[in-house]
Amino acid sequence: MDRDQEAIVKDFTSILDELTFNSRPIITTLTKMAEENISLAQYFVDALESRVEKCVPKQKLYAFYTIDSICKNAGSPYTIYFSRNLYNLYKKAYLLVDNQVRTKLINMFKTWIQPIESTGLPIFDNVELDKIENFLIKASALHHKNFTKLLPEPTVPLLLRDIDKLTTLTNERLTKQKNSDSNDEKEIEKLNMKILVLSQLKQELQKGKLTKVALKQVQVQLLQVFAQDQQVLQERIRQEQLQQEQLQQRQRTEQLQLQQLSHHQNAAINQQFQIKNDHNPLFGNSLNLNPQGFSTLFNNSNFIPMNQNMDDNNTMGGMNLNNIIEPANISNIEKQNKLNKMHSLFESLKAEKLVFQPKEQSIITLNAKLNIDDGKLINNSGRAKSETDLTRLPSIEFLSNIISDCKAYFSTVNIDIVNTPSLNISQDFILGENKIVENNLINTLYRAKPKKCTLCGKRFGNTLDERRLQSDHLDWHFRINKRIKGSENTLSNITATNSSSNTTQKNIQSRNWYLHDSQWIIFKDKEIVSTSRSDHSENNMTVVNLDFNTNMNSQKNNNINNADRNLSGNESNKFVKIDEGLLSKKYVIVPESVEDMSFKCPVCKEIVAATYDEELGEWIWKGCMEYKGKYFHATCYYESAKNKNTSIGLELDMEKLKNLITD
Amino acid sequence: MESLPGINDASSNQEVVNGDDEIHDLSLKKGDEWKIGVSSDNKLIVKIIHGIAEIFGTELANNKDYVFQNFKFSIFAVEDVELQWRCMELVGTNLSVQENITAKYIYNLHFALEKLRAASFDGPKIMIVGNSNTGKTSLTRTLCSYAIKYKTYQPLFVNLNPAEGIFTVPGAISATPVSDILDPQSSRWGQSMTSGATELHSKQPLVKNFGLEYIRENRELYKVVISQLAEVAMNRMQNDALVHRSGCIINTPPLEDLDDDLSELLVSFNQFKVNYIIYLGEETDENFSKIKKMFPESFLANILRIPKLSGIIPTDDIYKRSLQRSSIREYFYGTYNSVLSPYTIGVDFDDLTVWKPKNMIEDQENMEQSSPSKYTSVEINASNLQHSLVSLTYADRKENESAVQKAAILGYGLVTEVNEKRHKLRILLPVPGALPNKAMVLTSYRYLE
Repeated sequence: MDRDQEAIVKDFTSILDELTFNSRPIITTLTKMAEENISLAQYFVDALESRVEKCVPKQKLYAFYTIDSICKNAGSPYTIYFSRNLYNLYKKAYLLVDNQVRTKLINMFKTWIQPIESTGLPIFDNVELDKIENFLIKASALHHKNFTKLLPEPTVPLLLRDIDKLTTLTNERLTKQKNSDSNDEKEIEKLNMKILVLSQLKQELQKGKLTKVALKQVQVQLLQVFAQDQQVLQERIRQEQLQQEQLQQRQRTEQLQLQQLSHHQNAAINQQFQIKNDHNPLFGNSLNLNPQGFSTLFNNSNFIPMNQNMDDNNTMGGMNLNNIIEPANISNIEKQNKLNKMHSLFESLKAEKLVFQPKEQSIITLNAKLNIDDGKLINNSGRAKSETDLTRLPSIEFLSNIISDCKAYFSTVNIDIVNTPSLNISQDFILGENKIVENNLINTLYRAKPKKCTLCGKRFGNTLDERRLQSDHLDWHFRINKRIKGSENTLSNITATNSSSNTTQKNIQSRNWYLHDSQWIIFKDKEIVSTSRSDHSENNMTVVNLDFNTNMNSQKNNNINNADRNLSGNESNKFVKIDEGLLSKKYVIVPESVEDMSFKCPVCKEIVAATYDEELGEWIWKGCMEYKGKYFHATCYYESAKNKNTSIGLELDMEKLKNLITD
Repeated sequence: MESLPGINDASSNQEVVNGDDEIHDLSLKKGDEWKIGVSSDNKLIVKIIHGIAEIFGTELANNKDYVFQNFKFSIFAVEDVELQWRCMELVGTNLSVQENITAKYIYNLHFALEKLRAASFDGPKIMIVGNSNTGKTSLTRTLCSYAIKYKTYQPLFVNLNPAEGIFTVPGAISATPVSDILDPQSSRWGQSMTSGATELHSKQPLVKNFGLEYIRENRELYKVVISQLAEVAMNRMQNDALVHRSGCIINTPPLEDLDDDLSELLVSFNQFKVNYIIYLGEETDENFSKIKKMFPESFLANILRIPKLSGIIPTDDIYKRSLQRSSIREYFYGTYNSVLSPYTIGVDFDDLTVWKPKNMIEDQENMEQSSPSKYTSVEINASNLQHSLVSLTYADRKENESAVQKAAILGYGLVTEVNEKRHKLRILLPVPGALPNKAMVLTSYRYLE
């Protein structure tokens, strides 16, 4: 390069440096210089590329405009030179600029893929443009629509060609894999599978009359497969480069060892991705799942520990890696992370046999089946089931319940209300927006205890204690409901045998008197809410003792009984002291030999019906006693014995009664 | 108001099927609340199909029929909710569904209280004040319900509004440890203890009788009764570690019912050793600044304000009366699901001693004004006692006035019939048995079955 040439290149770069705003004159000058000095094309390209790389993001667009202008006006050899690196250049710039500039970049790109009239081809190399296109499709869902619009109208031949291309690509990888020393059988199987799917898709396309929408979907999916495959290839190339670099670096100074280490890690990560990545496209397409949507679901909770390690690696080597790994790669890694997560989720679901794996069928027929599935299974379950042996999924509500429960668990698992400094009782806090309350604490009132009682809505947790509480609680409901319903069966039995008895069907109950202040003070609500059987002690504090003196002595008295009974018992008998409380507690278990569940008390002629006693688990005659094969109301027996009333022709003896009661 | 799914078909069907009782679907978005008023002549049946819905902080079980009658309340959707309802009264009306904008304040307050409970054995004692129709009872009920959800706390719910018969009859003030879930179907929050089985765990209230309808009729007596209630309640807290830790939540009468200087509030505040006052209403309210002036500078940070609750359905005197009637009926007869059997007995006039609180407004001329909190003796005749609610005290029949005044409350009876010729009357008692030989206090409440 002579001096003149050097001067021209210098001029070119200095003018280029002035391109800090969208200036048409500068761009035209540069274009003219490029046109006039085609021999220096290589230098100009270098200058422009470094300009795009180095200038602040805002100005990158203007440099691109210059490239665009030069290529469109001067054409070859600039187009060839720029094609070599266009994808990387474009990608890097795109990732750094804001959305407004991105749209401009996309608009510019749109002009690139229009074929030039003279040649009938786009200005740049097709492969490079395809790469950019794929990148853009993947880069933003926002621009997704624009690009599907941008794609040529999908026709069957066009798609078939795409499939062919993909098949050859996969075949290539297959042969490579077979030749390579790490002859991974699984890998080969996956690739074979993929080829099979592709050929099926091809057949389906050939025979099937598909709607445009369906074609479009196929097109987009194929593009995604392309993009993913290309990524794999790229990753492979990059890895090779890395390894080479590492070799060189190893011979260098010690100072670089740290950097080297991070390379190493990075390589390892890459390798991991690569392995996973190879089956991802197949999986992603055939099941039609959206990995991103799914993984955002678990984003907050981070419950796959592997993921955190990865992140650590990235940040640790962050500074050093930046030279080698571009931001784009980091976002790639993130994407891969999500895919990995998705994949391991899929694998674990598969291990639990929760995944329906269709037999080898083409994607399209399968998709059609899955779509009709919902409607048909419900309307016409019999027929639909015979057609497809699909296992029915649980309802969406059921599944979303599980997910919400999981979320609630993870949002509360590490929350300790005492150690939450932002939480305090103040005006600002109460009227403010509190993330900790909204996102975490609120769950403690609901789903953090995932088991909801179906009868009353009370919630129970998953710990051993809570489970025991829940089963006690359910037991309690059961007993209470039984008691509310009363012993209807036996009572109806009585009415059948004895029509004179008009006992009500339900157990009679009434409001209790309120406790005396001093009783209430020492009362514990545990006595009410306790659900375990053993706590229903005889010494029942929930009932008022009307003879209660304001002094607390009678509290100690074990026989606090129903108020009415104590009221009526004010004439205490002088002969034998028998506690009436004990009388009322007497009961007789209905003997199995008895056919009738009721008997007539010989003293008062009243029919006594059996009731079911939960504590005993037996049918009993309450407040009754047996004497010499006859049954009495205990109180009747007592009264009669007291009055020595032998007119009913029964032998009633106080002493015997006393024995009966005390035994 | 946008038309809701199911509403339109319902109203069109209604023309054809006369007075239908069919099932309607309704979906509530997360954060919405459905404000409902059901009269006493109608029944509303609600079934939650999917999602989390709650009424005053009590979560509803799914796929269970809840029956509502004579109740104004709102169903709050904690998550998106699908529900079914049927009610003749609501068919064809616009359902009032709107966003619950005050729910987050209640959550904030609840968790702030929860932290206090976790941090100390001496739980927070809060008093909720505000004008009428600002949501005092709703807030109290929601806070009580939330408090028992995550841990097994037992907050002491104190009702100082004698016009509301919660767990007891109107005319009484009460303190009740909330030890298990409240009944979302009940405007009385649930049942007090019975001798048998109730669907949910009953509560054991401490009851003190005020006996008059309006606080203004005897402010002195009201303050005395508050002090009596507070003394026992504080004693319980000292004895019951769990209640002590859970603290107490005090509901107060509307500020309009109180004296101009709000002295009743100050008595309650001192007697219950309140730590925090929650004012429901706006910053600019006259009463808010009045309350702030009542307390020293150092306490001002403990006076917190929450805007009037968005789920409030304004109530009128007719509704309040009907609730009072329901309370009295429920005390004796129970609910649809747990029917109680009260007991009527005949008594001779001579076997009764009846006292009554002084009504400082109505009986101004006849009364000596010196000791307003003292009871006066009541002559037993039809005009005084017919259909009236009387409280039975623990004090013996022959005890003097001051003993009766201080005595604990055994329960309530209802005089159903007074026969002056035969010198006899009939009393409905909640508990079977003879009439306890105790002194009675006449209340201003009348109930005709």
